[in-house]
Amino acid sequence: MTTVPQTSPSRHRPARIAVNAGLVIFIALYAAIAFLQPNYLEPGLFMNFLRRAAPLVILACGQLYVILTGGFDLSMGAVATLVVLAASILINGDPDATWAVIGALYTMGIAVGLVNGLVITFLKVPSIITTLGTMLLVNGLALAWSGGAARGDLPDNFRNLGRLVWRDVPLIGTLPLAALVLAAFVALAWFGLSGTVYGKRALAVGDNPRAAELAGTPVAATRILAFVVSAVSAVTAGILLGGFSGVSVNAGEGLELQAIAACVIGGAQLLGGRGSIWSAVFGALSLFALFTLLNLLGLPQALRDSIQGLILIAAVGATVWRTRRRT
Amino acid sequence: MTVVPALSMTGISKAFPGVRALDGVDFECLPGEVHAICGENGAGKSTLMKILGGSYRPDAGAIHLAGKAMQFTHPRQAAEAGIAIIHQELSLLPHRTVADNIFMGHEIARRGLLDKAAMRERAAELLRRIGARIDPQALVSSLSIAFQQLVEIAKALLLDTRILVMDEPTAALDERDSRTLLNLVDSLRGDGVSIVYISHRMPEVTAIADRITILKDGRKIWTRPRDAAPISEIVRAMVGRDLKDFYPAAPASMPREVLLSIKGGTNGALRDVTFDVRAGEIIGVAGLEDSGKGALAQALVGDAPFTSGTVALRGQPIALRTPRQATAAGIGYLPGDRKREGLALRQSVRDNALLTLRSMVGLLTRPQRGALADGVIDERLRAMDVRAADFGQEIGTLSGGNQQKAIIVRWLAQASDILVFVEPTRGIDIAAKAAIYETMRVFADSGRCIVVVSSDMPELIGIADRVLVMHQGRISGDVPRGASEEEIMHLALGLADAPSEETGA
Repeated sequence: MTTVPQTSPSRHRPARIAVNAGLVIFIALYAAIAFLQPNYLEPGLFMNFLRRAAPLVILACGQLYVILTGGFDLSMGAVATLVVLAASILINGDPDATWAVIGALYTMGIAVGLVNGLVITFLKVPSIITTLGTMLLVNGLALAWSGGAARGDLPDNFRNLGRLVWRDVPLIGTLPLAALVLAAFVALAWFGLSGTVYGKRALAVGDNPRAAELAGTPVAATRILAFVVSAVSAVTAGILLGGFSGVSVNAGEGLELQAIAACVIGGAQLLGGRGSIWSAVFGALSLFALFTLLNLLGLPQALRDSIQGLILIAAVGATVWRTRRRT
Repeated sequence: MTVVPALSMTGISKAFPGVRALDGVDFECLPGEVHAICGENGAGKSTLMKILGGSYRPDAGAIHLAGKAMQFTHPRQAAEAGIAIIHQELSLLPHRTVADNIFMGHEIARRGLLDKAAMRERAAELLRRIGARIDPQALVSSLSIAFQQLVEIAKALLLDTRILVMDEPTAALDERDSRTLLNLVDSLRGDGVSIVYISHRMPEVTAIADRITILKDGRKIWTRPRDAAPISEIVRAMVGRDLKDFYPAAPASMPREVLLSIKGGTNGALRDVTFDVRAGEIIGVAGLEDSGKGALAQALVGDAPFTSGTVALRGQPIALRTPRQATAAGIGYLPGDRKREGLALRQSVRDNALLTLRSMVGLLTRPQRGALADGVIDERLRAMDVRAADFGQEIGTLSGGNQQKAIIVRWLAQASDILVFVEPTRGIDIAAKAAIYETMRVFADSGRCIVVVSSDMPELIGIADRVLVMHQGRISGDVPRGASEEEIMHLALGLADAPSEETGA
């Protein structure tokens, strides 16, 4: 009904098949692992790989929520450490206390997420600073509480979440409980982003918060929720870590950076506006496959950090290069 | 003509994946000539200027400057050859001084140290030459857009620019500042500078240009001296048809019941604003820069709320404290700065059109439910004639007109009753303008209303049923449909009909 009638404005293109960059990298790295150590192709070892990668994948999913909205969450490693230490102190070997304590741990995680989100949205402190602050705060609290050394004891029903493996499962042979937790968490995280309107709101907020606000988007709530999801993922990862590595004061050290690196490798854009749950999942699997590969090659652990740094720079560089070439 | 053109571009062609942006375009500009380029968005003007400025390399064609063949592979080479381009979006550093900005990258040094005094002096001299009363020590962020533009020009003159390209220089300026700028263009022409002038404002083009070139779909339609190019001819060449009914007819019926009523609305930028908005009405808001017309729009949408006064929606008092509250109350906003405030540029056309709907439904709503489904929003986008190869593509790749239409679709989908439009047609092409005006009329005629804030006076006169004129934060007058530009300008300058208590303010 315009004064300027026009011909049909849009024709349908066949949908592009979007192959996640992280998936390609993961397959390549896993192929390299299998080349060196062919038994990694057996279902049992693959399941074990998934079990060990589970905490990182879960952390990356939580971190992705924050990255989509244009922020960083540096506090997740500290939260995971706190979870491990707090669980062992609070449960102290009493299997009956396990579930109540797990409830308390999630409450605590949600509180940390809320504090992060509220400070960032209402005091307008950049997320990188705020979460750096909470990271130091939470780490300090955890160390002070535990007296700087692992105390207490984790009962088997708690540790099983991380290390229980069912044997003689049809088709796949073995099934670690952690892999089920992983699948359930990824499914929930996927639902949050793709099964509700939240994901699109988060992308818009990360892309242009001002425009989103003027369009009626609840920008503050969207951001706060992202930090809560991130903290919840850190608690979940912490519980799994406590399960298979036991109690240690540096259980979660450096995990926040690995989670960020994972998201970026998978194609999520730092500073927001682009990425999907598969960026986090395959990015994290790639990073973990890389660590495994470096182990198999006999490289010293310390080099892991350097290589992780290189990858982060290369991945960000590649994203920027791709964006520039398109314009 | 025996004069060697200062600039001559011949047979310029440039293709992008899927688009032939320029196809054998010839263009020349004589020393001391103002040569205007007109064309719809997407006609190839920007591409041509990016080739001239060294940002793009042409697929074919040649560029000669004063008869000498040139090949630019980097914008710096073009700048060194005496070409300066002033873009629509200014490129000044807001937190540095005027002098710092003018000398950016060309600082005067003495014994390895910056010679601030010399730069200040030289900057002051340049600013004087263009008749701008600006302190070289002032921070750029403290200057109005109009003054910032003058700083850009001073910056161009520093480099002994022979060819100055101005891309929509008056788009962000009000009437008075535009006139100042045009006077400046005229004096630069007197100094022998060749000026390539890109604008959508026809009266301006015919007032200032010596010659006019029309581009359409990447081809040159014609180049004519100004006298041989009346506006009607230009418009016909640009769109390929007559646009007699550029503005839609007056409303079908008289304004009906009051939808929104503001009494004594006051905040930092507004004083005692009182008016009613009726169903079926398009209300224009005119005023010079900083008159409060932008602040009024921000107050209506809850972005910079009134701090005192009352707002009533259909007789019920309501608070408009945040854009979200305003949205829930049925008020939609088309911001003046599309890129910064209107769009999430890296999201798809569809996502941008759905942004408000998705923001107002419950958090756990499925993304494809009901009005949120792709098919439904695609239908709305098509009805609005938003042109994109695929509504899944990033909205940043569309032309300004199509982006603007997508934002309008956002509010139509939300079924808002009151739309606040700020500069709805800034920097967009004529066909899209006409389509937007038509949409506005249809919207108002359906018993809803539009408040349109604009610096484009002919636009307000053409589209609005009445125009509120603002001056120093107040409504200084209210003129009915059919008023003249002079009447409005009179009120905007605060010369007449001002409330008595304002004298001496």
